[in-house]
Amino acid sequence: MPKLDPVALARLGTLPIKARVIVEGALSGLHRARLHGSSVEFAEHKEYSPGDEIRHVDWKAFGKLDRYYVKQFEQESQLTVYLALDASGSMRFAGGGLSKVEYGGLCLAALAYLVVQQQDKVGLVVFGRHGEPLHVPPRARTSHLADVLATLDDTIAGPGAGAPAHDDVTPAAALDRIGELARRKRALIVLASDLFDPDDRTLGALRRLRAQKHDVVVLHLLAPEEQTFPYEGLTMFEALESDHRLLVNPAAIRTDYLEKMAAFLARVSRELGEAGVDYHLVSTDHPIEDTLFRVLATRQKLTGGGR
Amino acid sequence: MSVAFLAPLMLLGVAGLLIPVVIHLIGKQRARVVRFAALEFLVASKRRTARRLRLRERLLLVVRVLVCLAIPIALAKPFTSCASKGPVIARGPQAAVLVVDDSFTSGYRSGGRTLLARATEEAARILTLLGPEAEVAVVRASEGASQPTELSREHLRLRDQLADLTPTARPADLDRALGRAAQLLAGSSHQRRTIYLLSPLNRGALRGASPAWGADGPALEIVDLRDGGAPRPNLAVTSLRVEPDPGAGTRGIAVVAEIANYAPSPAPGVTVSLRIGGQIIAKGQIDLAAGEKKAKRFLASLPHGYRSAEVVVELPGDALPADDKRYAMAQLRDDIRVLLVDGDPHANRHDDELFYLEAALRPGDRAEAGATVTKLNPEDLDQVELEQHDVVVLANVPALTAERVARLAAWVEAGGGLLVAPGDHVDSGGYERTMLPLLPQSLRDPIDTAWGAAADERAARALKLTKWEADHPIFAPFAKDAPGLADASFTKIVLLGPTTDTDDRKVLARFTNGAAALVEARKGDGRLLLYTSTVDRDWNDLPIHPGYLPLMQESVRHLARKRVQGGTSDALVGQGVSVATLDLRKLEVRGPGENALFAGERLEGRRSVRFVGGSAAGIYRVTGTDRTGATRDRDELAFAVNLDPRGSDLTPAPASALPTGGAGEGGVPRETKRRVELWHGLAAALLILLVIESLLIQRA
Repeated sequence: MPKLDPVALARLGTLPIKARVIVEGALSGLHRARLHGSSVEFAEHKEYSPGDEIRHVDWKAFGKLDRYYVKQFEQESQLTVYLALDASGSMRFAGGGLSKVEYGGLCLAALAYLVVQQQDKVGLVVFGRHGEPLHVPPRARTSHLADVLATLDDTIAGPGAGAPAHDDVTPAAALDRIGELARRKRALIVLASDLFDPDDRTLGALRRLRAQKHDVVVLHLLAPEEQTFPYEGLTMFEALESDHRLLVNPAAIRTDYLEKMAAFLARVSRELGEAGVDYHLVSTDHPIEDTLFRVLATRQKLTGGGR
Repeated sequence: MSVAFLAPLMLLGVAGLLIPVVIHLIGKQRARVVRFAALEFLVASKRRTARRLRLRERLLLVVRVLVCLAIPIALAKPFTSCASKGPVIARGPQAAVLVVDDSFTSGYRSGGRTLLARATEEAARILTLLGPEAEVAVVRASEGASQPTELSREHLRLRDQLADLTPTARPADLDRALGRAAQLLAGSSHQRRTIYLLSPLNRGALRGASPAWGADGPALEIVDLRDGGAPRPNLAVTSLRVEPDPGAGTRGIAVVAEIANYAPSPAPGVTVSLRIGGQIIAKGQIDLAAGEKKAKRFLASLPHGYRSAEVVVELPGDALPADDKRYAMAQLRDDIRVLLVDGDPHANRHDDELFYLEAALRPGDRAEAGATVTKLNPEDLDQVELEQHDVVVLANVPALTAERVARLAAWVEAGGGLLVAPGDHVDSGGYERTMLPLLPQSLRDPIDTAWGAAADERAARALKLTKWEADHPIFAPFAKDAPGLADASFTKIVLLGPTTDTDDRKVLARFTNGAAALVEARKGDGRLLLYTSTVDRDWNDLPIHPGYLPLMQESVRHLARKRVQGGTSDALVGQGVSVATLDLRKLEVRGPGENALFAGERLEGRRSVRFVGGSAAGIYRVTGTDRTGATRDRDELAFAVNLDPRGSDLTPAPASALPTGGAGEGGVPRETKRRVELWHGLAAALLILLVIESLLIQRA
C-alpha cells in the first residue's frame, strides 16, 4: 500500500478526517493496531500445558502444590493516554514540507483517534503558547475525541507563539503538570516536540515522569533542513521565537552547525534512553503512518506482545 | 623616477573600480531571508566565524578593487626611464662570459658585504636578464683559478657556481681572465658575444690596458663595483723578513715588517703586533702618511728549547682582513761547525797558532757560543769530510797541494766559507803556485814595520786598523771608532798582489798605511776571507784586545751566513716552493691550504722537491721519514706562504687603464637612459590578485 505523503495528507479536509484516514486507511493493514500501556493486572491461574511461556510459571504455587500453574494477566482495564504537543515558536518551522507543529498535531490526532477507538481515555495538553497550557482532560467517549481534535486543529491553524513572554509556562512545567494530573494512576504520555528548550529542563521533566512509573513516548520532531542545513549563499536567518537575525554564509558554518546538532541529538537520545523513555527521532518529511507504526510496534514490543 | 603611459586613454577604465564596491554593497542587501528554528546552534557557530568572514569579505573587496585598478593601468602600458651605469643587457640568443673577480681583494667589506658578494649578486642578475637562450660561462679572475672549457645553457648550474664563489688567497689577473673569456667566446657561433667584467678594478689587477683580442673580438661591459671610484682605505703588511740579530746573541732575531697605508689619508698610531709561536710578544705603533710604506723593526730572542718558530706580524682588522697578517718562519741556526787547520801546532798551548782563535770562538767553552770547533793539522785534511763543516780556517798553513786546494775550492763553491790567515809558515811563492783558487788576491811578501827599530820605537812604528766597513755584518757590533779594534798594533802584515778569479771582491778594513787588512770575495755559493796578519800574537797584539773576539766570531758567522739566514716571507700563495729533501724517504707538507706527500719516485735522487699546493697564506710544516724509518717534524724545512701584496692596493685604476672591448666599448662604465616597461609587472600582479580572489571565494 502506498504511503501517505504528509503534505498531501495535510490537504485532506478537517483534522478528524485526516486522523481517520491515517488510522483506518494506512494503519488498517496492521495486525491488531493498538496502543499499549505497560500496566497489566494478574487475572487467574491456569494449569500448565505445552506451549505456555515458561516465564509465566508460578513457582510458588509449584512449591506448595507440586503442580505447574501458569499465571494469566490482563491489561489494565482502561489505558489513560496524555498527548502533549509543543506549540512553541520553533515548532512553526516548516522547511520544505509540513511544519513541525502540523506534523506533530497529525500524529497526536491519529493516536487520539486510535485510543478512543480502543475505548481508552485520551487527554491533551498543548503548551508553548502564551499563557497557560491548553488542557483537555482524559475521557474515553467518542464525543470527547471531537474536543481533542478541535483543540489540536486550533493549535495547528493558530498563529505562532512568537517571542516567549515571562509568564509563559515552560515545557518542563507543562510536563510536570501532566504528572500531577495523572496522579497515581499510571498513564501513557506521548510528547511531540523539537526539544529546543532554552532552559534545557525538558529532559529532566521527562525523567521525572518516568520516575512516577508513567510510560513516556517522545516524538522528537525535526525538519530535514534542521538536520542537513542545506542552505547556500549569503542568508539572513531570523529566529522564530525572537527578533534575533543573523546574516551568515551557511557554507562557512555548516560543519560547525552539523557537529553541534549531532551532539545535541546524541545527548537527547542517550539521556532519554537511560531514563527508559521511548524515544523516536522523527523527520517531518517522513510518512506519518511509518512514524506511528514505529511507535505502536515499539509499544507492543515493550509490553511483551500485549494480550 | 617618473611614470608615463603609452596608451593613457585606457586609464578611463579606472572608473571600473566602482563595480566591485557596488557589487559588495548590493550583495550585502540581497541576502536570502530564512526563518529558522535552531538559531541557537547557528549563533554559537557564527560567533567563531563572524570575524573571519568579515575580514574575508573586506579582503575580497580590496582584491577586486585592485584587480579593477590594475587592468586599465596595465592596458595603458606604463613605463619609466631610469639612468643606470650598469651594462647594457639584451635578452635572447647570444654568447656571454661573466668574469668575476674572486681574488682576495674581493673579500673587502663595504657596506656590510664583501665586494665578491656584490659581484656574484650582480652576475646572477645579468644571467637572469640574458635569458635562457644565452650560452654563458663564468670565468674566475683570480690568478691560477681553474677555468671552464665551454659555454653552457645550464643556468642553474652557473647560478650554483656563482653562489659557491668565495674570495681566494690569490691576487687578480684580469688580463689572463679576459683572455680566457675571449677564447671561450671565439668558439661561439652567436653574433652577439659579450664579456661582463665584475671586478673592483683596482690598480694591481690590471697589468696591461689592452685586451687580449682584436677589434673584431667580443664586446666588453664593465659592471661598476668601484662605488664611483671612491677610495677604499686599506692597511696591509706587505713584507716580512726575519734576520739573525747579532746584537742579541745566537738566539736573537730581528723581525722587519713593511706596513703600507693604501689610503688618501694618513693613518696615525697603527698598532703592529708581533706574534711568535702563537703568543704576542711585542707591540709597536707606527705613523703612516697617505700612501706610505714604512718598515717596522722588532728585536726578539727566541726561547731556549725551540729550534724554529712561527713569526706573525699583524695589524688590527680592517675592511680587508686577509692582508692584515703576514707569516714567516724563524729558523734557529745550528752551531757553526768550524774546522781550524793549524799550520803551527805547538805542545805549549800558549804558543799554538790557534790558541786565541779557539778561545774566541768558544769563550769559556760554553754551548751557547754557537760554534763547534775541530782542530787538525794540514796533512790530516784528506781524512776530513769538508761537507760536515761550515767554515774552514787556514791559520799559518803552508801552501797546500793542488789536489787539496781543488777539493777545498769545490767545497767553497758549494757554499763553504774559508778564512785564510798568514804566518811565518806561509810562503808567498808557494801560495802563488797552488793556493790562488782559495784567495781573493795573491800574496806578496810580508812586511815587518818594526824591523830594525829600537825597542822603544817598535810601538810607534806599528800599524793600526782603520777605515773598516762599518755597515758590513762583520763590523756590525763595533762603533765607528771602536777602541777594541783601533788600539791593536800590527807589526807584521802580508801585502797583497793582483786579484784572482773571484766575484764581489771587497776590502773590508785597511791599516794606517793603506794596506788591506781584511778582504772578502764570493766564490760560487761560498765566501772567501783573507786576513793579512796572524790570528795569534806573532805579528800583532789584536788577540789581547776586546775587539778580537767579536771580530773573529762575526767573521766566522759571516762566512757561514748561507746557513744561518733567517726565514723570509718570499713565498707567495700559488707560487711553488722548493723544499730540500735532506735525503729523506718520505716527506709530507701540511699547511692551511693543502697537504702534499712526496715519496718514491717523486723524492728519490732529488735534492729538492717543488710544492705548489699553497692555496692559503700561513705556515706550512714538513714531516719527514728518514732512512731508518723514523718520522718527525722537520722544523728546519717549514716555510711560510703569504699573500701577493699587489692585491692589497685597492686604489681604483684610472679610467685610461681600464680595458676596452673589441668594438670599442668598455672603459669607464657609462651612464645610459633605459625605458623600463612596467606592464609586465602589473600583469603578473593582476594574475596573482585573480588567484587570491578565487582562493578567497573558494574558502568563503
